Amino acid sequence: MKVLVTGGSSLLGSAVARQLLARGDAVTCFQRRPSDTGAADVLGDVRDGDAVRSATEGHDAVVHLAALVAPRPAWADAYAVNVVGTGHVVDAAVSCGRLVHVSSPSVAFDDRPAVGAGAGEARYAGDDAYTHTKALAERLVLRRSSVPTVVLRPHLVWGPGDTQLIGRIVERARQGRLALPDHGRSLVDTTYVDDAAAAVVAGLDRTADTDEAWGCPWVVTGDDPRPLVELVEGILRAAGLDEAIRSVPAPVASVVGRLVGRMWPGDEPPLTHFAARQLSVAHWFDQRASQRVLRWRPEVDVDEGLGRLAAWYAAR
Amino acid sequence: MPDSPPAAGGPAAPVLSPTPAQLSDWGLDPTWSRRVVIDGSDGRPVDWHVLDTGPGPAGTLVCVHGNPSWGYVWRDLLTTLSPAWRVIAVDQTGMGWSERGRPRRLADRVTELVAFCRQEVEGPLVLAAHDWGGPIAVGASGPLQAEALVLGNTAVAKPDDVAVPPLIAVARRLVDLVCRRTPTFVEGTARMTAREHRDALRAPYRTPERREAVRDFVADIPVGPGDPSYAALQACAAVLDERQVPTLLLWGGRDPVFHDRFLADLRSRIPGADVERFAGAAHLVTLDAPVGPVVARWLADQRGRSVTDPAGDTDPAAPFSSVLDSLATRRHDTSLAYDGPDGTLSWTDLDSRSSQGARTLQLAGLRPGDRVSLLVPPSCELLVAAGAVWKAGGVPVVADASAGVRQLRRLLRAAAPKFVVGTRVTVGLSAALRFAPGATRVVVGPAPGTRLPGVAALEPEGPAGAEFVPVPLRATDVAAIVHTSGATGPAKAVRYTHGALAAQRDVVGPLFDMRQGDAFTTSFGPFMLLAPSLQMTCVRPDFPVERPSALGFDELLAATARATVTVAWLSPASARRIVATAHGRTAPIALVMLAGAPIPPDLVAGVRAVTVGDVRTPWGMTECLPVTDGTEPEANGPSGGNSTGRPVPGCSVVVTSLDDPADPVPGDAWGELLVRAPWMFDGYDAAWTADADTWVDVGGCRYHRTGDVGYVHGGLVFHLGRRTHVLDTAGGPLASVAVEEPVRTAVARSVAAVGIGPAGAQVVCLVVDGPDGLEVAGADLRAVVRASAPVAVAAVLVGRLPVDRRHESKIDRTALAVDAGRLLAGR
Repeated sequence: MKVLVTGGSSLLGSAVARQLLARGDAVTCFQRRPSDTGAADVLGDVRDGDAVRSATEGHDAVVHLAALVAPRPAWADAYAVNVVGTGHVVDAAVSCGRLVHVSSPSVAFDDRPAVGAGAGEARYAGDDAYTHTKALAERLVLRRSSVPTVVLRPHLVWGPGDTQLIGRIVERARQGRLALPDHGRSLVDTTYVDDAAAAVVAGLDRTADTDEAWGCPWVVTGDDPRPLVELVEGILRAAGLDEAIRSVPAPVASVVGRLVGRMWPGDEPPLTHFAARQLSVAHWFDQRASQRVLRWRPEVDVDEGLGRLAAWYAAR
Repeated sequence: MPDSPPAAGGPAAPVLSPTPAQLSDWGLDPTWSRRVVIDGSDGRPVDWHVLDTGPGPAGTLVCVHGNPSWGYVWRDLLTTLSPAWRVIAVDQTGMGWSERGRPRRLADRVTELVAFCRQEVEGPLVLAAHDWGGPIAVGASGPLQAEALVLGNTAVAKPDDVAVPPLIAVARRLVDLVCRRTPTFVEGTARMTAREHRDALRAPYRTPERREAVRDFVADIPVGPGDPSYAALQACAAVLDERQVPTLLLWGGRDPVFHDRFLADLRSRIPGADVERFAGAAHLVTLDAPVGPVVARWLADQRGRSVTDPAGDTDPAAPFSSVLDSLATRRHDTSLAYDGPDGTLSWTDLDSRSSQGARTLQLAGLRPGDRVSLLVPPSCELLVAAGAVWKAGGVPVVADASAGVRQLRRLLRAAAPKFVVGTRVTVGLSAALRFAPGATRVVVGPAPGTRLPGVAALEPEGPAGAEFVPVPLRATDVAAIVHTSGATGPAKAVRYTHGALAAQRDVVGPLFDMRQGDAFTTSFGPFMLLAPSLQMTCVRPDFPVERPSALGFDELLAATARATVTVAWLSPASARRIVATAHGRTAPIALVMLAGAPIPPDLVAGVRAVTVGDVRTPWGMTECLPVTDGTEPEANGPSGGNSTGRPVPGCSVVVTSLDDPADPVPGDAWGELLVRAPWMFDGYDAAWTADADTWVDVGGCRYHRTGDVGYVHGGLVFHLGRRTHVLDTAGGPLASVAVEEPVRTAVARSVAAVGIGPAGAQVVCLVVDGPDGLEVAGADLRAVVRASAPVAVAAVLVGRLPVDRRHESKIDRTALAVDAGRLLAGR
């Protein structure tokens, strides 16, 4: 099978490309920088519809992971990449006939705890431009895609080499600026990168053999929720750090996030309102339907993942 | 009340109907509202308004309201029972939206209900009624051959010893002012229920002209033989003497008019009636409580019953030896029946004093089957009072003081005792707090110089009378009402028969080496009543019984020194305290029974070290005691949990599926534990739904669902905790005890496992006992817990574990799950 992977240089994108290559698929990665996965690279930007169309030609399926991920992107940039770019991919996928779109559980975030939750509708329309545009993109895919399409929402993907989640936590801790709302008690699902990649590959296979998986989003997680503080402590320990984690009352974090997020001069404010709320409430999901429909199960629990992370840090 | 028929006041008010908009606002389907002309009792047609849901295959339920209300009060039945049933809620003449200006008495209303049903209803008929609709429906049920009755708070007669309810007395005296000229009576009734119902209740009675029948209705209530409708009321009640049909009583426990003594009166007139009592509901019970589902289930059950009626276990005519017979055999024995800090009591004294008490109760009006609340702490007086009640044929209602005042009040009001027997303090308190409205109060002992008005002494001073002949008891007679602890849900009233008590006595003695003439001691107050029937001396240790953890080794040792104590029944809290205060000493007790599961193995070992004989952990419950013999407490089973020993001979234990309680599981798989024994309870009192939930037919026999889970392996019954504490995870159900046991051993502290999240997708949260509020555990403790836990653990918390009051050992995992869930959900 010939598969085009957009966003192949990201943590999850490169893992997906490697897993597809490992099982013998022919993989092309489409993104702005070389993917360094061993797959054939086509460099380009999803904002360029012609580039997307020509890259897609000759493939049997598209796995769309490319997105603009930043703490506080400009709305125009986020919209252009996440919504317009996704539109280009959906249109191009008509020529190859199958599509996997990678979304995020946060598109359904409504400020309330998600406790053993289902996927929920992609209704987020708050201040966070990334999440808002991802919600628009998911709705665009579900509405406009005319080929067998599986939409996946992996939750908090992490693993060795992650610059987003783990990189930021470690960076903060090193600067002595790490604090969690309410002692980090909220129960949170995470997904080890290899499991998330396997779920994407399973989703790709399901585009071919079961319409039960099409047309609605599936949250995928490691099915091993933990209190946030446990995860953060584990990550710091894996990175060889022994920094104390401070606690901020959740309502304070929320207010500070709102102020700092608006007034911070640079691109990376230390806290936004959205981030504060996301960290203050539980996020864990009922995985029974996802696992049954995708015919996939996670294999790396939190403790195993932290062990691999520690080994990776030790090897550096 | 004038002797002539109530006069019509001026020109009749025009006929009004509720508008569709009004009906929608009130939660009624506007299409149900229609008008029917029937033959009036005065020979002229009369225009009625009814709410009629239209045809239903099961039959027709005709609902009759009281005063001042209308068909609206049946809203829940109308919406829940249709379309299976046709439900018709009528408005009586002059009431609701029916025609005005046509005065009616009770007999007229019965005639018109009969006329309505004959005209409108074909096929099977069930009558439902509330308040003063009750006598009308009961009176009509005979001529109509109604299949069944559903009655809300009502009465067909005023019990002789109950005063006219004050609200009715006032309304009668100022009847025109209160009921017609001003909306006082209508308003007062509307305010007895929630705000949402009030507009609907007021709507048909806005003007004095529209309230004439409200006045006439009150004026027509007969309270004595001189009243015009007295004979009619008696005729209604007489229907029940000739014809008994399946009857469901829906009772609001907070009704100031028809309180629980009226319920007791109805139950005595309809002995087979099923009762569903809603403790929080007031007079308008059909609006205050979700009655629809109860009635739907009850009606369905009546249909099924004719096919699979579980045969009674006991033959009422069979000879049996009652607990009183045990007492009688020792009545010439001057050795001790009781020895406690308050004094001693010989068998002879117990017999003669209880006879005197029985005579007092009988003279005060106690009739066989009447309920007597015993508010007596464990003492000589408790044994005397219990003996007196039984000899007079009464039914003791035993409430555990550790329940707390609020709970106690709720339980006693539900039991509606005709007598309250207690100490001067408890009798005074029960009167002040209205524990038992209308009950006769009796103080234990001779009570010289008692200043409490209207209070009798159980053993008045004076010459002993002639020998008292106890009322003969049958095995099927109700013997006692006791209560569950309420540790695992609201406390329930449990009804025992004399046959069951005798069977319990006969099995417990030989099983636990409780021999006549020996002594036993216990930390459980109600257990002290067991000793006399076993013909054993009861030694009460010196400690406050409402605080089991106050019974230490010194108190236990002092008790054993007073008599040959061979057996002790202890709660886990007492046992822990005894072990902690033994300081290397041992008590000369041959057998210790630890009850109030679950009993951890280390406690068994601890008790074994401070006593000289055997330690057992029999399993049982308020509803059935004992179930197992408590042997081999340290045995291990394949699915973990605590061994409770082998089923007691005569007792049958089955394990059934969590999905279907009537479906036994294969082999030694775990599931819900069901039990059956000759000494188990007869049913829950005034709680039809709880009763219907608990009895399950397995292989043609009637079993009690214990609400506990476990399994049987190698003949031993292993206990895995409460069914409501089962964790419902994506990987299948997990029994709390099976998850906790290995962790508890590893951390050497109490541990509770609770499920967090929606049913079927719960994750495991383990809470380790700690001094403070809940918090996420530190990394080291987390590691120990996860290493020892048999399943994946999402969160490890530390914090105070909520335990019950009676045993101080049952962890309320339901409340804990809520707290842990809230903590882990964030904010």
